[in-house]
Amino acid sequence: MKARDLAYETFSALDANRGRSLLTVLGIVIGISAVIAMTALIGGVKQAMIGELGLNQARLVYIQCWYNRSMEVSDVEALEAEMADDYEYVTPLVWSGTDVISDTEKKSASIQGVWPSFFEATGVKLVSGRFFTEQESDTGALVTVLDQASVKNLFGNADAEVVGKTLRIAGAEYLICGVTESSGAGGSNPDYVQLYLPFSTCCSRVQGFTTVDQVYGFAREGSDMDAVAQRTTDWLARRFAVPEDERENAIWVYTMASTIEELNSMMMSFQVLMTSVASISLLVGGIGIMNMMLTNVTERIREIGLRKALGAKSRDITRQFLLESICLTMVGGLIGMALGYLGAFALSGLAGSLLGYGEGTALTPYLDLQSMLLVAGICVAIGVVFGYYPARRAARLDPVESLHYQ
Amino acid sequence: MSAPVIDVRRVHRIYESAAGYVHALKGVSLTVARGEFLCIMGPSGSGKSTLMNLLGCLDTPTLGTYLLEGVDVSTLDDDELAELRATRLGFVFQSFNLLPRATVLRNVVLPLTYTDVPASERRGRAEQALAAVGLPQEFFDHRSNELSGGQMQRVAIARALVNDPAVILADEPTGNLDQATGQMVLRTFRGLREQGKTIVLITHDAEVASWADRTVHIRDGRLLTDEEERAAVAASSTRGRGRT
Ligand SMILES: Nc1ncnc2c1ncn2[C@@H]1O[C@H](COP(=O)(O)OP(=O)(O)OP(=O)(O)O)[C@@H](O)[C@H]1O
Ligand SMILES: [Mg+2]
Repeated sequence: MKARDLAYETFSALDANRGRSLLTVLGIVIGISAVIAMTALIGGVKQAMIGELGLNQARLVYIQCWYNRSMEVSDVEALEAEMADDYEYVTPLVWSGTDVISDTEKKSASIQGVWPSFFEATGVKLVSGRFFTEQESDTGALVTVLDQASVKNLFGNADAEVVGKTLRIAGAEYLICGVTESSGAGGSNPDYVQLYLPFSTCCSRVQGFTTVDQVYGFAREGSDMDAVAQRTTDWLARRFAVPEDERENAIWVYTMASTIEELNSMMMSFQVLMTSVASISLLVGGIGIMNMMLTNVTERIREIGLRKALGAKSRDITRQFLLESICLTMVGGLIGMALGYLGAFALSGLAGSLLGYGEGTALTPYLDLQSMLLVAGICVAIGVVFGYYPARRAARLDPVESLHYQ
Repeated sequence: MSAPVIDVRRVHRIYESAAGYVHALKGVSLTVARGEFLCIMGPSGSGKSTLMNLLGCLDTPTLGTYLLEGVDVSTLDDDELAELRATRLGFVFQSFNLLPRATVLRNVVLPLTYTDVPASERRGRAEQALAAVGLPQEFFDHRSNELSGGQMQRVAIARALVNDPAVILADEPTGNLDQATGQMVLRTFRGLREQGKTIVLITHDAEVASWADRTVHIRDGRLLTDEEERAAVAASSTRGRGRT
């Protein structure tokens, strides 16, 4: 029997039992919508996290070390050179603060002295202009990059054309070479101003000394972050001659990957819980399908006998009934997916505020193709598992007896 | 003379049931030539349907051989038997056995879905078969449960015809029809016979049997010659029992 004929038979059989079929797939609908709602919500949370942190965050390692002395630029350079297999860049940061004066405003600014590689490592995005160059960084040029919130607070308007203008910082004129997306750190605080200066400029003109406050390592793609962190710790311990028992206090190596991992595993356990609840519903739904298919077979014994008399092979009958149950579960699955996705939207406000994403706005349910295919696969599997026995039973019927069945 | 379409040799069929063994066919031998319209006649319980099921490859003999177009069907597996039913045999049942919700055309096309007749040819063949049984075109798209009994049985005959089988097997095809409608259905069979179809028809009605080229009688699982049949009838009437 050809696929088209099978599809026709299935469609007309289901069409004949529309009401009963819909009632029967309710269990599947409920189970699948629970799974989908959960998956979409968790997907939404993950998307929100990735959006907020930037994808790069997973490859970022935060490094600090203090044992008898602070980290210096020379330590950073040595680390970058000696662990080149692990890191694409290692880049330092120094925190400072001073007054900054624009044409109209005077504010106290928080200042970060960085190398150009900092921007790439942390995934900060430019809105206009450019980051400073290696050369500007090396020569201690008087250039600065600031974020949109700071532009707003210094020039009155976040979209003001400020690239090429100057700011007065610690008694010198600095050329604004770029504007980045707002980090959101300052919120709507009108006094918040945050600037990036080249590391050497910051040290020599603002800070006055050359120790490093924080080091960022940007691991190579596909690295095992835990292993990289461990090797970094070992390297620092050697460099600073930290004894075994002081390591904990002196060295601080931290990856975002572990945070993401933690959150993932928390959500996984949540998902496992929901999935087990859903599987009970799917099990009950599957038994319902089997029950309906058995009724179907009994009601259609004469038809089965007739089909066999007309030349249907056992496998034609098996396929016909199997396809019917698969279609039932697929229809249930599709309805469940739609309902689950809508349900996820209804729940997203709630979940968003529970997880602290603002006023329930930031969270958009997210379903990837993979999970949808997985769910479709589960539906087919339920259809096969619970439809197989009734289908085989139909196929094994004796044609003579079934033709005369009353 | 060409080889017979049906060649049954000393066939037995013994049913095993809770009540014990039932010896429904006791050494039946029968040949049907190509183009012949044969009637098998006998009283209720004589084994007519049992024989028909064997001829139709829906059942297999307990003993003996059955050659359909020269092929010993006992050598075939289930799928090959199904293939044979799909391509070489056409069934007509007493109770029509149409799919009630499907259209007339769909019912006639149904056997073709179990063969490898291309989808593009199906409709044409179904229409041809329906024309051969004389069903007016206006009914082709009706649901089969909207038809009269006579029309339904003609649709069923068209369904049996559509694969161009070697033989059409009909088990009491007029049993559920009134006299006039029954006559029309029999005329249809006769017409097919004139077109060269091979037909085996079962009945317990002598009037129906008169439409056939030849009639064999079955009693208590045995085929009888005409003389034996007359003797049997005479014997039963002298004992005061009417003819069944
Ligand atoms: N599946 C079965 N199991 C046991 N016995 C059976 C079975 N089918 C038929 N029989 C018996 O075999 C004998 C012949 O039955 P069959 O159906 O062939 O008769 P028939 O000639 O077709 O009768 P009718 O004219 O009533 O249809 C009967 O005695 C019947 O009871
Ligand atoms: Mg019978």
